[in-house]
Amino acid sequence: MKAMTQRLHLTHPGHFVGGLTLWSIWFVAVYGGLSVACAVATPDAGQGAFTPINASLLLVSLFTVVLIAALAWACFKEAKRHQARRHFNAKVSAWLYLFSALAVVFVAAPMVGLPPCL
Amino acid sequence: MRERFLHHAALACIQRAALRRVNRLMVILVALGLAGCAGDRSILDPAGQAARDVVLIWWVMLTFATVVFIAVISLWLYTFKRKYHERTPQQERKIARRWVIGGGILLPVFSVSALLMFGVPAGKRMLPLPLGHPVEVIEVIGHQWWWEVRYPGAEGGEVVTSNQLVLPAGEPVDFHVTSADVIHAFWIPRLGGKIDMLPGRVNVIRLEADEPGVYGAQCAEFCGAQHTHMDLHVEALEREAFEAWLEDRQAERLAELALANDEFAQARDTFSSSCAVCHSVAGISSSAIGPDLSDIGARHTLGAGVLPMEEGAIQYWLENHQTLKPSNKMPSHDYMETATLESLGAWLESLTP
Amino acid sequence: MTTINREVTPQDPQDLHSDLHEVWGNPRGLKAFTIVNHTTLGLRFMVTGMAFFLIGGILAMLIRTQIATPDQNFMTPEIYSQVTTMHGTVMMFLFAIPILEGLAIYMIPKMIGARDLVCPRLTALGYWCYLFGGIILCFSMVIEMAPDSGWFMYTPLSSSEYSPGLGSDFWLLGITFVEISALSAGVELVVSILRTRTQGMALHKMPIFAWYILAMALMIVVGFPPLILGSILLELERAVGMPFFDIAGGGDPLLWQHLFWLFGHPEVYIIFLPAAGIVSTLIPVFAGRPLVGYGWVVFAITVMGFISFGLWVHHMFTVGIPQLAQAFFSAASMLVAIPTAIQVFVWLATLWLGKPKMKLPMLWIVGFLVIFVCGGLTGVMLALVPFNWQVHDTHFVVAHMHYVLVGGMLFPLMAGIYYWLPLFSGRMPSETIGKWGFWLVFGGFNATFLIMHWTGLLGMPRRVYTYDTGFGWDIFNLLSSVGSFVMSAGFAMVIIDIALHFRYGKPAKHNPWNADTLEWANSMPPSAYNFVSLPVVETRHPLWDNPDLPRTMREGQHGLPTISHGRREMWGTDPLTGKLREIIHLPGNSWWPLFAALALAVVCISLLLRWYPVAGIGVVIAVGFILRWSWENGAHPKAAPDAHVKAGDPPLHSRTMDGPGLWAMTTAMIANGSFFLSYLFGWFYLWTVSPEWRMPDESPLSLIGLCVAGVAAILGWGLLEKAVRGLREKNDKGLAFNLYGAAMLGAVQFGLVLWVLLNANLAVTETTHDAIIMVGLAYALLHSGLGAVMALLQGMRVGYRFVGAHAPFEPLVVTYFWRYSVLVFWMLIVALDILPRVIGS
Repeated sequence: MKAMTQRLHLTHPGHFVGGLTLWSIWFVAVYGGLSVACAVATPDAGQGAFTPINASLLLVSLFTVVLIAALAWACFKEAKRHQARRHFNAKVSAWLYLFSALAVVFVAAPMVGLPPCL
Repeated sequence: MRERFLHHAALACIQRAALRRVNRLMVILVALGLAGCAGDRSILDPAGQAARDVVLIWWVMLTFATVVFIAVISLWLYTFKRKYHERTPQQERKIARRWVIGGGILLPVFSVSALLMFGVPAGKRMLPLPLGHPVEVIEVIGHQWWWEVRYPGAEGGEVVTSNQLVLPAGEPVDFHVTSADVIHAFWIPRLGGKIDMLPGRVNVIRLEADEPGVYGAQCAEFCGAQHTHMDLHVEALEREAFEAWLEDRQAERLAELALANDEFAQARDTFSSSCAVCHSVAGISSSAIGPDLSDIGARHTLGAGVLPMEEGAIQYWLENHQTLKPSNKMPSHDYMETATLESLGAWLESLTP
Repeated sequence: MTTINREVTPQDPQDLHSDLHEVWGNPRGLKAFTIVNHTTLGLRFMVTGMAFFLIGGILAMLIRTQIATPDQNFMTPEIYSQVTTMHGTVMMFLFAIPILEGLAIYMIPKMIGARDLVCPRLTALGYWCYLFGGIILCFSMVIEMAPDSGWFMYTPLSSSEYSPGLGSDFWLLGITFVEISALSAGVELVVSILRTRTQGMALHKMPIFAWYILAMALMIVVGFPPLILGSILLELERAVGMPFFDIAGGGDPLLWQHLFWLFGHPEVYIIFLPAAGIVSTLIPVFAGRPLVGYGWVVFAITVMGFISFGLWVHHMFTVGIPQLAQAFFSAASMLVAIPTAIQVFVWLATLWLGKPKMKLPMLWIVGFLVIFVCGGLTGVMLALVPFNWQVHDTHFVVAHMHYVLVGGMLFPLMAGIYYWLPLFSGRMPSETIGKWGFWLVFGGFNATFLIMHWTGLLGMPRRVYTYDTGFGWDIFNLLSSVGSFVMSAGFAMVIIDIALHFRYGKPAKHNPWNADTLEWANSMPPSAYNFVSLPVVETRHPLWDNPDLPRTMREGQHGLPTISHGRREMWGTDPLTGKLREIIHLPGNSWWPLFAALALAVVCISLLLRWYPVAGIGVVIAVGFILRWSWENGAHPKAAPDAHVKAGDPPLHSRTMDGPGLWAMTTAMIANGSFFLSYLFGWFYLWTVSPEWRMPDESPLSLIGLCVAGVAAILGWGLLEKAVRGLREKNDKGLAFNLYGAAMLGAVQFGLVLWVLLNANLAVTETTHDAIIMVGLAYALLHSGLGAVMALLQGMRVGYRFVGAHAPFEPLVVTYFWRYSVLVFWMLIVALDILPRVIGS
């Protein structure tokens, strides 16, 4: 139990992979969700990008960005409070969370302009 | 959201205008230089909007990449020449951060964002979006190692041919592609990007040829021993000529042609008793294992690009096809008399609608 | 958790050496086959890799000869297809990955201050699997039956209908065999880096190379299983007729592409990361200052490790996936530019702030940079979907790929080899011949592949065995071919240089490049045990901060210099802080790895020849050997019957509840989990997307039967957890009972699953649905059976007193396996039986 809570602490290097793991899960969910949505209910091609599919994908992405960005912010704050090893861990995690948040934004951007199933 | 979309479209317009100018310059450069020897499969010599977009993107990317490349390499090499300065750790950290954030983060972020802004509109143009008027549909089916081409929209009934693709120029055409066996890829380099031909699936790609003309094409996905010899003769015609071309290939007309000349009765018998198991000629047989031969006399090549069509070519092909195109699926004809093959060849060559 | 600070008087290094050599030294003669030492095996890996590189290189020469001029008849089309396929296969699977693994196997323990890798017998098994698999695969060329469907083996071209010979079988079986070696290296490198760093070496103080290798090893662990699954499915389709990729039965050829590239794209980074690790190691040494931005590099490594798993579809942009989905992958592909650029600029900043010297290894590094930056830039271009549609499958892609792989892997590798040559041999290479070699390779490479970009833009597709004149391709192909021969001349020069240096090279002085990392504290060439005594290291640059360290280490002034107990020992430390936790005792030389690999080779060959009964016997024998090898652990007379340690030293790992074996099991289960998730991906993918998918309305599997089996598994697992709880409290009462009970319940689970399988009447050759269910149940059978056998063996070991309150470690490892096994079993029940009932077909 103690080991588990230690691992949750923001200075644990486990957080190196936290943001990118969330990114991966989001990526799989969005790609998988899109494939399934297109297989189950293809919207009319004339609708362009303004479809429920795009909207829900964007919503999921927004939620993910907020979550990861919050973690990044928390890590930055934590990093300031420590020295040496813990500082290093929290700082690298913070940048990795930040990168993951931006990666979500970057990869999600085409949802605004492209029709979903063509 | 709508506004952003419009903004996007406006941006795409500006890009196009700017790129057209860049391209004109590049075309001149290329004409002077290396592309002088480009053949009819060169991506750099576009003949349709889709391919043109890509070439524009390519030249912009190449220019930008060259600048980045020279800058990075020069900086690296410069470090070996420059004098060493003693610095405090604070100064060092500052310099390091400048390099890493400037070169490691801002440079790639800026570059790839710019690239996507150019790239996404270009890709969108190749989507089969509804246009408000019907679009000509041509079906292309890949076989080991030849092409089956069908025109389901032809007035008066579907038209079928092989190893040649005739399309109307100056209008978008939707190609519905699939495969009868392994995966092939449909690609007319001068018109635009490629799309895979998968068994069990139909992929759609929209292409347009600006002008009438002949374009080269070749299977692009490795499909076995004779992947090399899987050429497709692509020809764009004016709309009327295209309609006439289809008209000439209506099944009744082709059947008439095949049965027209009595001197070929012997050849037709031979065909019916051996070739017809795999090949179809309208009015005589209807097997689809091998290429349809109803208009073979009018085609430009034999064996999907192995031999140019000329007098006696079919006989030569029938005698030597396993050496010309080893392991192709047609059995060898060693057992047939030369005279038989000659008459068969002469008859097939007469099938010119 | 104590830091041991010995005040030991210096001892005679020669005495210490002979004592240690007694225990660690390599045997000669026939017994050399039993060696498990990482130094020897690392070298064997690298030398074997070089041999395969020569084979792959000759194949490349054949290709360039064939297409040097139009309309050539140098090779028949069939042979040409075999040659291109084998060139790619050999270079990727038999050269690039194994040689880098070999380097990591050789270097990692030396860099982190350990005496060996943590599972030495696994290293040996990996090597033999690699060697035998490689030989089997290459043998196919001798009998002109080599695989010929391209190195990525797309179905249906590689299926039995269109490739009826043995070619595809050679590929699928041979590569799977070789992958055992990659996976075993991956597992033990992860554990070694995390658990066997010397005292004080916290995670953020370890050499940057170790970070790269850690990422590479984890990527192997996660990235290889999808291909193993794909290969198994395709081989089952070919051999038995189970239609996984066949449209008519309800399968989908695109599933193969997904599985292949799920592996194939990370693989590029699996190759690139260790090579970049070499660059990050060498640049600080030749710049004479620490790496600038260690944290940034760790950041970049982590990002690359992850993002590279989100790119696989960019190899499939032309298969007709919706453009929005393509845009995701396009954007993700471009994101990789960021960590790459960060590294390039970190290296630049290091050079900028240091005093760089252009020595021979540095020359190769600069060559790497020129070529790799080029390849990276074309990589960004290719990530753009419309451009990709044009140049995909043309020579442009061939050129790009060689820029990335040769630039990103081979050049750094050459730099690394030149850099570490003095360590391997104790001698310096010749700068003159070396420079000639470099310039020939560099010039030849660019002549070959820079031009090839242009050939691709002129429309030449890849993998054509000839072309007509008149497309403008002739002159460029000829120039490429000439360039490739210049490049081969360069490699010949390099090989001559390296071969000659072993004899004529100047003897190297100690630490000849003035490097900072611990491997240079070894004797040159290194001894089998690496270090006489293991130091406390709390800096990233031990040899710069304490140049005297190698001497004091040799004189036995640091940890674990005594060897009178006859065990091979090294430190086990905390993965985060590097605090001392236990003494890891390693097994000695052993025949079992070789025997197990030989048995697996028999399996591989008999599967090729369709001698299934022999293959079955082979599997049983191989498993038997491996279990026999696991017998020699814990308190077994050949392992550590006597647990006495010096006063103040931590306990032996087999006497604790957290030894490296637990970490190895966890890592292996990550690999296993990746395999399982790939399987679930395949199931759901086919279910939702496959064009002709057919599914019965009623699931053919008995839900009750499966649930009872699942409950039995949970009960067995509970018994094991109870046993472990007892052991934690030094109490082994009822230990044997619990273990035997778990074994029994495992057997019940096995029996029930078998019953469900036999009662389902699956038509495995008719429909994909039934075939894939069959594979899932076979997976469950394998796990329940293995779990039962492992628990049974532990129960027996209690009787022999190899395991018990005095040596409590092993039942815990078995419990970890059971945890995994129970979890995936229930996931299988939900995915295969419950969901179809809920959702319906």
